[in-house]
Amino acid sequence: MKRWNAKLRILSWAIFLIGMPVFVWGASPYEGKTLTIVVGYKPGGGYDRYARLYGKYLPKHIPGSPTIIIQNMPGANSIIAANHLYSVAKPDGLTIGTFNNALTTGQLTKVEGVKYDLMKFSWIGSAASDAVILTVRSDLPYKTFDDMRKAKEIVIGTTGPGSSTHDFPSILKEFTGVNLKLVPGYSSSADVMLAIERKEVDGRAGSYDSIKPFIDRGLVRPVIRNRISAPGIENLPVDEELTKDPKGKAIMAVNAAPTRIYRPYVAPPGTPADVMKILRDAFANASKDKELLAEAKKSKMTIDFASAEEALKVVREVLNQPAEMAQEIGKYIKFGD
Amino acid sequence: MLDAFIQGLFVVFEWQTFLIMLLGIFLGFWVGLLPGLGGSTTLALMLPFIYKMSPVEAFAFLLGMHSVVSTTGDITSVLFGVPGEGTTAATILDGHAMAKKGEAGRALGAALMSSLIGALVGAFALALAIPVVRPLVLSFGAPELFMLAVVGIAFISSLSGQGGRALLRGFLAGLLGLLFSLVGQDPQAGVQRFTFSQLYLWGGLDLVPVLVGLFAVPEIVDLAIRGTSIAGELPQGNLGRGAWEGVKDTFRHFWLTIRCSLIGTFIGIMPGLGGGVAQWIAYGHAVQSAQDANERSGFGKGDVRGVLGPGAANNSKEGGALIPTIAFGVPGSSAMAILLGAFFMQGLMPGPDMLDKHLTLTFSMVWTMVIANTVTVVLSFFLLNQLAKLTMVPGSILIPFILFLAFIGSYTSNNHLGDLVVFLFFGFLGYLMIRSSWPRAPLVLGFVLGRIAENNFYISTIRYGPSWLLRPVVIILIVLTLLVIVYPLLRFRKGRQAAEEEPT
Amino acid sequence: MKGFLNSRSFLALAGGMIAGYALYASLHWPFKTALFPRVVGIPLLALSLFELVLCMAGVEPEREGHAVDFELAKDIAPGLARRRTVAIFSWIFGFFVLILLCGFPLAVPLFVFLYLRLAGKHGWVLTLLLTLLSWFTMEGLFNRLLHLPFPDGWIFSLWG
Repeated sequence: MKRWNAKLRILSWAIFLIGMPVFVWGASPYEGKTLTIVVGYKPGGGYDRYARLYGKYLPKHIPGSPTIIIQNMPGANSIIAANHLYSVAKPDGLTIGTFNNALTTGQLTKVEGVKYDLMKFSWIGSAASDAVILTVRSDLPYKTFDDMRKAKEIVIGTTGPGSSTHDFPSILKEFTGVNLKLVPGYSSSADVMLAIERKEVDGRAGSYDSIKPFIDRGLVRPVIRNRISAPGIENLPVDEELTKDPKGKAIMAVNAAPTRIYRPYVAPPGTPADVMKILRDAFANASKDKELLAEAKKSKMTIDFASAEEALKVVREVLNQPAEMAQEIGKYIKFGD
Repeated sequence: MLDAFIQGLFVVFEWQTFLIMLLGIFLGFWVGLLPGLGGSTTLALMLPFIYKMSPVEAFAFLLGMHSVVSTTGDITSVLFGVPGEGTTAATILDGHAMAKKGEAGRALGAALMSSLIGALVGAFALALAIPVVRPLVLSFGAPELFMLAVVGIAFISSLSGQGGRALLRGFLAGLLGLLFSLVGQDPQAGVQRFTFSQLYLWGGLDLVPVLVGLFAVPEIVDLAIRGTSIAGELPQGNLGRGAWEGVKDTFRHFWLTIRCSLIGTFIGIMPGLGGGVAQWIAYGHAVQSAQDANERSGFGKGDVRGVLGPGAANNSKEGGALIPTIAFGVPGSSAMAILLGAFFMQGLMPGPDMLDKHLTLTFSMVWTMVIANTVTVVLSFFLLNQLAKLTMVPGSILIPFILFLAFIGSYTSNNHLGDLVVFLFFGFLGYLMIRSSWPRAPLVLGFVLGRIAENNFYISTIRYGPSWLLRPVVIILIVLTLLVIVYPLLRFRKGRQAAEEEPT
Repeated sequence: MKGFLNSRSFLALAGGMIAGYALYASLHWPFKTALFPRVVGIPLLALSLFELVLCMAGVEPEREGHAVDFELAKDIAPGLARRRTVAIFSWIFGFFVLILLCGFPLAVPLFVFLYLRLAGKHGWVLTLLLTLLSWFTMEGLFNRLLHLPFPDGWIFSLWG
């Protein structure tokens, strides 16, 4: 790494010193370079697959066609990666990264260990949005929300506080009067699906993308969604409309907001504007790339690019909550691994 | 169904598919061998490449790679005492001990042959289970999983060795392991336990740095103390013949090997038990099969049965783990979780369809596992002699490399320096335990089962109230737990009596 | 006090202290979170203290007490064994320090070189060849092929 770092450093300095004229003369900052995408999770997970997918098609859309490598930096639900991108990675455009969208809530509720500030990152955008839904097993008789409210008890399996499988139903239970019994402790959301088949639990909440295969298979039926809509669940009741309590509505809104930027991509704070423009355009164009879309479709990954401005808007919306609201939210949305 | 079975074999032998499978085998060979490369990580890295392949080719590649990893991981465990994979650590106890006695060839032969048999049993089980797999998996809920974990933990008593004092230390080790497994965020209230404000510890301690530290460091220290090669000053038998001896051992203890394969398969089928468990239960079973106290104390010091058990189990569990993955889309191990990604990429939906519409593909996976393992074992046999010669290399040359592999192997767990700290901590702990005669196997078992026990306990209690204790399978498992605890105690008492009756 | 200072007592004491800490930490937790730590911690504390007492009292039946595990080589003189143990632990810890100071990719060949020369006292040719081998593996496989993230060594962050 020392040799690479030395070379990169010399080159970056050369670029910045000689600066504008070289750039104006058309030499791309990415010519012959390596672009690293830091992923806050281990290989194989959703964030990792999105990064590798983009990593495959980005060189086409970046002048200079840099080599792209993916580096996994798992830990603390991607807080470690976010901290690294915030203070350790150099803002020369050669390192970018992706992490959990829920880090917005993490920052709002002042989770211990958070050393980043999402407002200060140089935002690239978000590759996809995702709805969070609540589903129940298909053979259960609940078809509408009123059915569910009348039910004596609906057992929902979760993986523990801090994941959408737990927080979404927990908030629903508190504010909409539905009698949900939460059973945390499953090691993964797939285990919850098995528990549903076993009739050990009645349903599961979570990301629409990850539950969709099971909906298609007919195992579960979606019944409630958060404010993000997606093909197939447009007509579902939205959680915010199911409660009259303004505090509840606010908490649900804050919980839902980050899912608009479900797969965020950022560069370290202070990355120069011209480099950012290249990156933002590259991501936007890659998201329209026919081959990328075809591969994404085959792998069942939705692509729904949100620009940096939209992303910052969402982040601002969440972070501007007053302190008391942050405290209330912290009661329901714990940050977990 | 029979024609799908035969069709599955033919599609694997098509030119392109076969070549791709060989490529996968080649990759898997090295991945298993090197502690720095994890089977799951490499699988994930290979995912983008299968995009353009047909389903049969894709799985021939991935499974070809994956099913080989447990086999070659045993090789590193035997030769160097460093776990080549998280699932091959148990093989170190007796396998590496045999290498230190100059029997590396024999240990390798036994490990490879038992791996092959384990893989065959696992594949066979997969094929046979296809009609009954859904009801079987569906009948094991959280209460049953909790009891299985308890049975596993009770097993600690048999891994502890002879004598009351040994039993005491075994329990101490087991309890320590259980405590270590609780590090991280608790799923009930989201409280951070024992994390000392370190982000790294939020997810708990990772298995690999713990195992590598616990097992590799004491071996390295031992090697440094002895100042010789791994095989020591003992006269070298013909190492090649040694391998053949190992194969014969596998057949001498054929039923043990089969039983351990079945144990591995069963544990693989149970989603949620994870890959680290099967090898230790199999090891414990092998220890229990010893006839008397003398034989038992030979375990951990080079009894070939201690190689056969885990060798078979860590391969058969892969076949078992494939079952819930294919039939339910619930991964039976972390590697399977990644394999699931491959399913989706190929446009396949795991579930009843795989056992129905895509039956040929499912059988082709079975055949891939069979063929890949056979090919690997046969090829490895040719290399065995050369590999075993490494045990004659002077320790002072090997040590820096073994340390290198141990350090990097731990690091690739989370790509974080914390991995190295964990490795060092458990390395020192492992050394202390060896010095103090505290057995390490119970610590590992406690560590692997602790969280599973806790989580399933709470799920059972919250969901069912206390009535889960009355479920039929739970009652059977409670009885089994008592048997597992009582049986060695009875043996111990009988042994004591016999010793007292001996004329002095 | 001989019984107190050897490794057996030390480990038993350590076990007890770990259990004690766990129980202490569990006092601040809600019931569900604390249950398992207590169920494990209490027996651990009790048994550790029991083992500690037995160790200090010198109760060590030679016939029993053999763990199902390997035992360190017995046929080396204790003085020599202790020196070599301290040496190897120093090397292991030193490797870790080297990684912290120079970063992983540089530390590996450096360590291999130093160990082979200083501890193994091997000739230059062999040392250099093996150092090269380790460097190839480190750079080629783990750096270039797998692109593992390696933080810069502290030396480099100081130089900036």
